Amino acid sequence: MTRSPVKVLYIDDEENNLLAFKASFRRQYEIYTANSAAEGLKVLQNLSVEVIIADQKMPQTTGVEFFKSIATTYPDPIRILLTGYTDIAALADAINHGDIYRYITKPWNDLELHNSIKNAHDAYRAKIDLRNKVMELEKTNDELNRFIYSISHELRAPLVSVIGIVNLVKMEGLYHSSGEYWELIESCSNKLDYYIQKTLQYYKNNKNVSDKSSIDFQRLVEEIIDLYAYTDRDTKFNLHINQSTQFMGDAFRIEVILGNLISNAIKYQKASEQNKSVDITIEATSFSAEILITDNGLGILNEHLEKIFTQFFKTKNNKGSGLGLFIVKEALNKINGKIDVSSSLDQGTTFKITIPNAG
Amino acid sequence: MPAKMERPLKVMLIDDNIIDLKINSKIILLSKLFDDIIQFQSAEEALNYFHHYRNQPEELPDLILLDIQMPEMDGFDFLDKYKNFPPATKEKSLIAMLSSTLDYGDIKKAEANPYVIKLLKKPLSPLELEKIFKSNFKY
Repeated sequence: MTRSPVKVLYIDDEENNLLAFKASFRRQYEIYTANSAAEGLKVLQNLSVEVIIADQKMPQTTGVEFFKSIATTYPDPIRILLTGYTDIAALADAINHGDIYRYITKPWNDLELHNSIKNAHDAYRAKIDLRNKVMELEKTNDELNRFIYSISHELRAPLVSVIGIVNLVKMEGLYHSSGEYWELIESCSNKLDYYIQKTLQYYKNNKNVSDKSSIDFQRLVEEIIDLYAYTDRDTKFNLHINQSTQFMGDAFRIEVILGNLISNAIKYQKASEQNKSVDITIEATSFSAEILITDNGLGILNEHLEKIFTQFFKTKNNKGSGLGLFIVKEALNKINGKIDVSSSLDQGTTFKITIPNAG
Repeated sequence: MPAKMERPLKVMLIDDNIIDLKINSKIILLSKLFDDIIQFQSAEEALNYFHHYRNQPEELPDLILLDIQMPEMDGFDFLDKYKNFPPATKEKSLIAMLSSTLDYGDIKKAEANPYVIKLLKKPLSPLELEKIFKSNFKY
């Protein structure tokens, strides 16, 4: 593959330098010259060059001033500054504000300048390649997310129909008409639905959009309890929610975090426990929300405590998917939250979450 | 506030999924809350019905259970048309959305729509239906 020659723009008020440059390099590069910053800008407006060489000392606009002026409009070309004298202030300014790649003293050495242009061009290619790669990755990532998302929706619709049919069977008093088959269908369907919901939560959390809305913890917690407690009417909830100020946060992620933790607190109760209880304490201030969720359930083995936030970690005895706490952790990462857990076997578990107030 | 309703009460189901139409109409039938069930497989057909009976309010439903994701005209498109219905029609025919969606955007959009009295999740729960019935109809 032959690559088209590197396009170089050289700006210098001294006509002789422009001519000398052309004479030395016209075979290697496609050269454009301009005798002032204004003329140089005109060239940039008409075609995209890869390397710009500018003389520092020019009337009206200096090289550094020119580079500064095109910093946002033409960020891509690599800049080389030429100057006849070593002015440390100009040098510092060039490096700090002009995004200069090389600094070359006049009169230039042909080989040195040639190498600098070559390196500059490599830097240009690397920059563009990297940007293209990032764009490509973002695109495939986005497509993958959308694919998983829509597949989950498509999978869920018929599943929800199945659950609807089971409900009808119950309503018509046929639930026990075929041994335990209906019960098994129901339990499998619920499990599948749970996985689909977790998958959706995971991918939704992965997308980087974050919203900032006003969170009413009392209402949110009550809604979540309503949603999950229908499976278990025995558990008693003790809420101590103290929210004195407006709390701004990512409503979806906070709901996912609390939803997973509260449903776990309900799910992992001891069957033998007479007084199943879940205490939820929230202290929301202008700074953060401190949330404690404590249950008197099964508890977690000490050696498992470190692994519970890992994807697909499951224990032999429990009916988890290995996704819930992983998603909690991921969601907290996205909103700069923290989670701590303490637990003793057969006594219960406490999760402590801190979420910053984004208001 | 419960509207004054007289029997017979009609409910309209709009859902492109024929199985869900079947399931939901059966659930409504067993709930004995409504006397009449009108079913449509597309929002367009439902609109035609409203147009056809625009001068016969007794034929219009008291409650519409509207699916969100449907080909061509979806639930939100239907709501856009519904917005321009005569006030009397809007007063008579209340709308609840019924969907399996977990899409946060859809959920927010449905909750924000002033004409949607409630977003119900599939599968339709007889309890939820009864709640809607009790808070919106007295007879």
